[in-house]
Amino acid sequence: MFTIDKPLPSPTEDTEGYWDATREGKLVVSTCASCAHRFLPPAKICPKCLSSEVSFQPVSGRGRVFSWIVVHRPQHPAFLEDAPYNVVIVELDEGPRMHGRLVPETDLSAVSVGLPVEVTYQKINDQITLPMFKAATGT
Amino acid sequence: MSRHPLKGTHALAGVGLSRFGKVWGTSCLGFTLEACKNAIEDCGIPRDEIDGCLVSMPAIMGEQHGWATRIAAHLGLEPRLACTMDMGGATPIGMIQTAALYIEAGMANAVICCFGMQNNPQGIMPQLFGSQFAIPYGDIGAITFMGHVARRQMHLYGYTGPQYGEIASAFREHASRNPSAQKREPFTVEDHQRSPYIVEPLRLLDCCLVTDGGGAVIVTSLERARDLKQPAVVIAGAGQEHGAEMIFPAPQRNQAPSGAGAARAAFGMAGVLPHDVDVALLYDGFTPLVMHELEAFGFAKHGEVGPWVATGALRLGGELPTNTHGGLLSEGHLFGVGHITEGMRQIRRSAGERQVQDAEVVFVTGFGGAPHEAPPTLSYTTLVLTQDR
Ligand SMILES: [Zn+2]
Repeated sequence: MFTIDKPLPSPTEDTEGYWDATREGKLVVSTCASCAHRFLPPAKICPKCLSSEVSFQPVSGRGRVFSWIVVHRPQHPAFLEDAPYNVVIVELDEGPRMHGRLVPETDLSAVSVGLPVEVTYQKINDQITLPMFKAATGT
Repeated sequence: MSRHPLKGTHALAGVGLSRFGKVWGTSCLGFTLEACKNAIEDCGIPRDEIDGCLVSMPAIMGEQHGWATRIAAHLGLEPRLACTMDMGGATPIGMIQTAALYIEAGMANAVICCFGMQNNPQGIMPQLFGSQFAIPYGDIGAITFMGHVARRQMHLYGYTGPQYGEIASAFREHASRNPSAQKREPFTVEDHQRSPYIVEPLRLLDCCLVTDGGGAVIVTSLERARDLKQPAVVIAGAGQEHGAEMIFPAPQRNQAPSGAGAARAAFGMAGVLPHDVDVALLYDGFTPLVMHELEAFGFAKHGEVGPWVATGALRLGGELPTNTHGGLLSEGHLFGVGHITEGMRQIRRSAGERQVQDAEVVFVTGFGGAPHEAPPTLSYTTLVLTQDR
């Protein structure tokens, strides 16, 4: 489980909308009104067309495992208690890719690139709720 | 076709490394000065002739305004040009290219390019490398990024653990012939497969060493280098590429693998092709990076790097002797200055038991940027080095 000692995000003007949404159990991505590009990590200017008409819009929370690793020797002492732990990169159905973890109940021997997953949430404190992933059900 | 103004006009005149390995009690400054002194003595250039000073930003020291000027002051220099540069592990070659441009433009005559690294600096909290969208999951630093790269390669091309092991084993065998290498005991592919996972699918022996130390290279015009103590090492080609990525796609400028443009530029300037390269010195923070470079730079076909490597192609006597000094994986993590130094040794015919006979074309690469960020931003720098003739 995560503890307070782990490094946590410090929301900024660029990213607070993302963390506000996860706190309410919603996943959003930066979405450009000019060219419809959807992207993460968030920014207020679209990297495709440089438009400033960018806002956070909800996505389905469904996607597929793009890559996964199992960390046996953490680079930060706060994660020692979790090791070995997985980290996934998920490609959302809407396009953007994001980091996350498969929930602890996941059978890692059944994980492969392309596995359908859906988002779930883990509340860390009053400010930060982290998106996590679990194997998709009822596709 | 007109000749590129930088082709064959400048040279690596002198080189120096400090003590390196696990060296306690010496600072980043101390290593940098030690390396610079060795480089000046290596080529015998009068110190007052050095009028440019480029220094790599100390990676874990935090903000250090004016670091290059401070190094210059410690060397008793009052340079016309001084600049602290940062492209991560692509910086040393980037500094050499910048030095050549300064000299070509008449803004300097001799430029010292240097770096130092102390992994356990006193009184400074090491900075956490990574993105706020990855760190909270424990995805921290270049090592997790490279774990993802290996996973993607294995998925897309079917590369196997033993193929990665062959890269590491070949470089270790080379290091066994390098008296100053940090790790010299040879190991087999089977030993590699028995080494523990660090970030699965990466094992311990897929990962570079942690090294304290420093390095310095002195760049002058070829004409000036000819009058100095050592045979001139000619800069025949140079290239860079920034921003392309292996995992998170950046806006695609082309379909080529990331880094391909940096090699194309250097080979094009030098007028050589990948198969003309006698010695390759590839930035090897982790074995999957070497897999990637071998394809991106045109040494192996798309998706066929693993099986080709497994033929022993990278070993001394193989098709493409690679990292003949042992690389970051076995000589030590000298930020790529070890690679440049080895390239100079091969051209100067001073590589001892690992000398590649008649080596005429040496290809050296740097890799850096911020691969630990989300999205990973990558920098590649390249040099083609040749003998003076
Ligand atoms: Zn746009």
